[in-house]
Amino acid sequence: MTDPIITANWGNPDVVGIDGYVAAGGYESLRTALGMTPADLIDVVKASGLRGRGGAGFPTGVKWSFVPQDTGKPTYAVANFDESEPGTFNNRELIERDPHQFLEGLAIATYAIGSHEAYVYCRGEFLWPDQVLERAIAEAFAKGVFGDDVLGTGYPMNVIQHRGAGAYICGEETALLSSLEGFRGQPRLRPPFPAVEGLYGCPTLINNVETLCNVPHIVRNGASWFAGIGPEKSPGTKIFSVSGKVERPGNYELPMGTTLETLLEEHAGGVLGGRRLKAWTPGGSSTPMLTDEHRDVALDFESVAAAGSLLGTGAIIVMDETDCIVEATRRLVAFYAHESCGKCTPCREGTWWVSRVLGRIESGYGRPEDLPLLDDIGKNILFRAFCALADGAVSPIQSSLRYFRDEYEQHIAERRCPFTGAGPGVQTHGREVEGSGLSEVLG
Amino acid sequence: MTAAHAELVTLTVDGKEITVPKGTLIIRAAEQLGIEIPRFCDHPFLEPIGACRQCYVELEGQRKLLTSCTTEVGPGMEVKTQFSSEVAQDAQVANLEFLLLNHPLDCPICDRGGECPLQDQALAFGPGESRYREPKRVYEKPIALSPLVALDRERCVLCARCTRFCDEISGDRFIELFARSAGERVSIAAGEDFRSPFSGNTVQICPVGALTSTTYRFAARPFDLSTADSVCGHCSSGCNVRVDLRRGEVVRVLARDNVEVNDAWICDKGRYAFAHADLDTRITTPLIRDQGLEPVSFDEVFGEVARWSAGGRVAFLTSGRLPDEDAYALSKLARTVFGTNDVDHRRAPNGGHAEEIAAATPLATTYRDVERAKVILVAGLDAEQEVPILHLRIRKAARRGAKVFVIHPRATRLRDVAEHQLCRPEHQTYVLERIHDADGGDGTFEDRVSAALREAGAEAVVIAGERLAEHPLATDVALSVAQRFGARFAYVTRRANDRGALRAGLHPALLPGGRRVSNDVERGEVEAVWGGVGPADPGRSARQILEACARREIDVLFLVGVDPLRDFPDATLARRALANVRYKVVQGLELGDLEPYADAFLPAAAWSERDGHVTDWEGRSQPMRPVRGPLGLSRPDWEIFAGLAEAMGGDLGFGSLDELREEAAGLLAPRAVPERSTAWTGTGRPQLLGDLTLFSYPLLVDEGRLLEGADQLKAALEDPAFAEVHPDDAEKRGVQDGGRVRVKTEAGELDLPVRITRDVAAGAIFVPFNQPGSPANAALAGGFIEPASVEAVEAGSASNAEGAA
Amino acid sequence: MPVLAEDLRGNAEEIKARYPKGRERSAILPLLYLVQSVEGHVSRDGLREVAELLGLTTAEVEAVATFYTMLRLAPTGTHLVNVCTNLSCALRGAKDVYEAAHDVTGISNGTGVSDDGLFSIAEEECLGACDAAPVVQIDFANHDRVTPDRMRELIEQVRAGEIPTPSRGESPADLRHASRILAGIDGRGDGEER
Repeated sequence: MTDPIITANWGNPDVVGIDGYVAAGGYESLRTALGMTPADLIDVVKASGLRGRGGAGFPTGVKWSFVPQDTGKPTYAVANFDESEPGTFNNRELIERDPHQFLEGLAIATYAIGSHEAYVYCRGEFLWPDQVLERAIAEAFAKGVFGDDVLGTGYPMNVIQHRGAGAYICGEETALLSSLEGFRGQPRLRPPFPAVEGLYGCPTLINNVETLCNVPHIVRNGASWFAGIGPEKSPGTKIFSVSGKVERPGNYELPMGTTLETLLEEHAGGVLGGRRLKAWTPGGSSTPMLTDEHRDVALDFESVAAAGSLLGTGAIIVMDETDCIVEATRRLVAFYAHESCGKCTPCREGTWWVSRVLGRIESGYGRPEDLPLLDDIGKNILFRAFCALADGAVSPIQSSLRYFRDEYEQHIAERRCPFTGAGPGVQTHGREVEGSGLSEVLG
Repeated sequence: MTAAHAELVTLTVDGKEITVPKGTLIIRAAEQLGIEIPRFCDHPFLEPIGACRQCYVELEGQRKLLTSCTTEVGPGMEVKTQFSSEVAQDAQVANLEFLLLNHPLDCPICDRGGECPLQDQALAFGPGESRYREPKRVYEKPIALSPLVALDRERCVLCARCTRFCDEISGDRFIELFARSAGERVSIAAGEDFRSPFSGNTVQICPVGALTSTTYRFAARPFDLSTADSVCGHCSSGCNVRVDLRRGEVVRVLARDNVEVNDAWICDKGRYAFAHADLDTRITTPLIRDQGLEPVSFDEVFGEVARWSAGGRVAFLTSGRLPDEDAYALSKLARTVFGTNDVDHRRAPNGGHAEEIAAATPLATTYRDVERAKVILVAGLDAEQEVPILHLRIRKAARRGAKVFVIHPRATRLRDVAEHQLCRPEHQTYVLERIHDADGGDGTFEDRVSAALREAGAEAVVIAGERLAEHPLATDVALSVAQRFGARFAYVTRRANDRGALRAGLHPALLPGGRRVSNDVERGEVEAVWGGVGPADPGRSARQILEACARREIDVLFLVGVDPLRDFPDATLARRALANVRYKVVQGLELGDLEPYADAFLPAAAWSERDGHVTDWEGRSQPMRPVRGPLGLSRPDWEIFAGLAEAMGGDLGFGSLDELREEAAGLLAPRAVPERSTAWTGTGRPQLLGDLTLFSYPLLVDEGRLLEGADQLKAALEDPAFAEVHPDDAEKRGVQDGGRVRVKTEAGELDLPVRITRDVAAGAIFVPFNQPGSPANAALAGGFIEPASVEAVEAGSASNAEGAA
Repeated sequence: MPVLAEDLRGNAEEIKARYPKGRERSAILPLLYLVQSVEGHVSRDGLREVAELLGLTTAEVEAVATFYTMLRLAPTGTHLVNVCTNLSCALRGAKDVYEAAHDVTGISNGTGVSDDGLFSIAEEECLGACDAAPVVQIDFANHDRVTPDRMRELIEQVRAGEIPTPSRGESPADLRHASRILAGIDGRGDGEER
């Protein structure tokens, strides 16, 4: 059993303040890092095998090394604290309980890429966590962690906190940059990649909060220590956010490769009320659902992929035998329809269409030809949109049709939802999209 | 860099090999092979966006399809379009299905019907039946974005061409995509109009019927139209246009693509001011004054005019609007038949040596040079209002990183991309001198400009506008600045064929090709072609002609396409001139204000009714084609000139346009102007005209003749007359914003609503030349600038009430 | 009367100064929050003022403002009640909480304002606290594991003029106060509360 790393301080409320954090050994890694060359620092992170925790799992050290030096332009480090993937809530707790750990990781990353200007793009709805961070940043400036002379080394570093205003898409890194520059949060073409032309057209590194929180520990304990935890290709721990129908929902930091069985039964207390596990997402709503048959899947990038899904953010949403898969899928697709940035056709129109078809099926107006239609629309959206948001919407559509097609058929045959009883004349729960007329159908 | 220097990439598209410059997009490479990949958001003059997802292609070895509008070619790529890839074709069909989900089935009443990319594609390969069972999105419609542009959101495919045009090209960011997801929509802000002189381009590039022109809504079907390619006749931009007629009347003007000239754009004046040739005021029969003006034949008029002209005191005023051929014919007519150099087309008289070069050397500086320039200095020109497409090209250069500097008495719409030096009109020369003399350093504006010019060398362009020609030296000082730093130079005047008129010699001191009347060698070159050339002394300028008329020194005044009462800065002088000259011969489309003065009228064919060429500010001569025959008895001007010559017992020597062109070709061939030091030696200090200086120039949309009938255009873009005063000057004189002022000069006075703004130089007062309510020429004398004083007119009732309290 | 009075103009300049010179457009969201902190929503005048502050057209500002759900472009109650109805919360009964919120405030749809002007309700996407589902935010302060009964209690508390104690941290007094914090001018809690 591996000890927790990035949640180790969660039992110690004093670390929220900088004095408590320093007393617990905090900011020593930053001091160490500042004594190294940026190149050596990047090598350590590369050697550790740390992979991005935001969903894509790209090797962090490699990402750092992509940021060009000596371009004559400023270089920026941006932390992505726009945690919005449904079911995911580890970044929020990392900031609430140990904000300086994150800031230390951010400072090290900023130094490693030769930057003097770091931005934290915060999710606006996280009003309190953002305030915790704001206070921590102020303390860090006051104590000389940031400012003109970081820890007395003469290295200047500024940190700017920037709050978003309610848009899931801004978690996508180019959309985040658009938003941070004061535009609508729509993704941009790549290339140019943010590493080369990111914020304000300058070289930019963007890392997730959980990723950065690992960095001080890697600097402190060494690359091989980190590489030795968990599976070879996905080393380290992962915070699994468990929610839905479980006895003890919460964040659990476990080694990569822990099976769902272990996570669910040994940590999260099993399915709520001892009911049967029906479906679960391994990495948030954008990852294809798995079922009871996949209990033994190891939760790391490779194993989950082998099982036909994605590790994503490691957010496990659990559904039990009493939950309607059609309604769950409808709700998730409605989320994507609501959060689609509107830029590209398949995402904007496709998610909207599917959410309406699912609304019809759930409320008893489904037709047999709707299922091949859903298959088809899913196929026509997948990998055809501008960014991955739309692919996320396809995950619940295709996976639910794969594993629970009979449930769809039952809805259509019985002209009602077998779980909620929703049917003609019975109102279901609908979401309005402004100006879309969506409510006309679902109302 | 030309393509020859660029790195080349070879790839195949549908098995056909092609080699293109590195960086070319797949969709463009395919076009070169004649393979059209369907698209909506892609537009060759806008930046790639990849939004509509219609242009999917398959790339051998790639799992995912790629949008060909965002993907650059790579060596050895094997691209398969819908013609060779089933997967790509399926994706395109599927995408079309998505686009059609919410698209209304209103093609039969849509203005785009018959020329709609969406309709065409739906017919060509769209799903025959919709699988969409839910109600479609519904929006209020149409929404008036401006008096010119209407929006139908239900038809919109959200390709963002219109918003990108406003962002990338015009910079007039009044329409934007609002909201997101399925609710995303094109919109304006409440209370903020889509007030852009380029708004019509968004209608033209809209790939569906979402944006329509109010002038063309429900007006015609594509199969109803006859169409001809032409060149716009409004300003010297030289825009290539397509003119659409229905039953012989112009109903629509569109931009034609020409990368050398207007890219894909025209301004709203060019697009929407097309009614003037069809107005009731048009006269299409020759007239001669007897009791009143009576219809007669051309020959009768010619005979009378010949009789009047026997005394020889004849002068010709024209505008910069005659086509090249007609201008040449007039130049020759004046010299060889009437023996006079009293011929002029200019409104501002001081082009100096720069004018001579412009007359002699076409295409010395082009749109391309502007586009590629690293530094652009604009002096004495409000490019957006005067030569709008040049304005867009300067913006394009700025977007590519060019530094732009503007010297002008009034801020221009380049303000967001250029550094402006606002100065009183008579100070522009002084600023240019200081740039010329600056030795570096980066303190002042002048230092920065000179340093930038020095660094850019031949990659800089100096643009001198018509405003500089108000000062006897200013254009030549601008030329000297360009020469000192090795920059390219352009003297830009405003009207459609000013440059052609200059080239043809409609100028008292210059013969065709910029040859000086007073230079024996140069005059001899013309004489060799023409036989005779008239006197060796320069004739009178336009202003001098009017003065001579006023002094009764002229017997016959020809007014060819010009109305001195409206077009010249001194209305009083023009009126006296017309009163004191014995015979006035008016040639053009109409009489207008000249009706009481005209002794004869010769009906000319309109711009759209004739063959000929027009020369833009670059010196580029482009063919215009008749879109219909001349109305009534009207004739092309050159034919009228030929008839006059014959009646005078002379012969212009050409019986057709081809013969005319053949003769003119030699004289108009580009020639190098001998190096000559300019008259300028430095003025030392700025000369102040007086306490305040009134200056004026016509805005893009005003009461000019060619804008008559363009009601929607005027509703969208025309302001009533106003005066702009700097806050410092206003404060000293107790003038309040929104109040009225009296602008007084020796020539007259104007009573106008005032705008107090820092967008005008301190010490300068701007009054637009010809806005409704109060034409500025009532207060102008010698030119477009004039010493003036300003006083507040009776304070408003609010301040009265305040005083009473 | 401008939306941003003299003292707030100072705040606006501070906000702009956070970003590099020439990149002041980055300040658009905090400036819109600042406007929202005055009026309780972002009015047309507010949009225009932000446009002026940044040298943009009003259309450019409105395009941005309408993209983000936390900027309220229509008049909004003094307090904003956000109910997450995304999957994790839905599985734990969010729908009933959402309906309870409507019942008790008397708002019949998701966009209106209660008759007393105190409340608006928004159906929210995942609020990132799924372990505490169903999650409700009042003026963006979190309330965990809210049942329909608890929802009613919370509303009654607000009606009585109290600020309900959030499950973690501090709660702003109302949406205007929350917007001030969001503008980044009150978040440390060491300044004077408005």
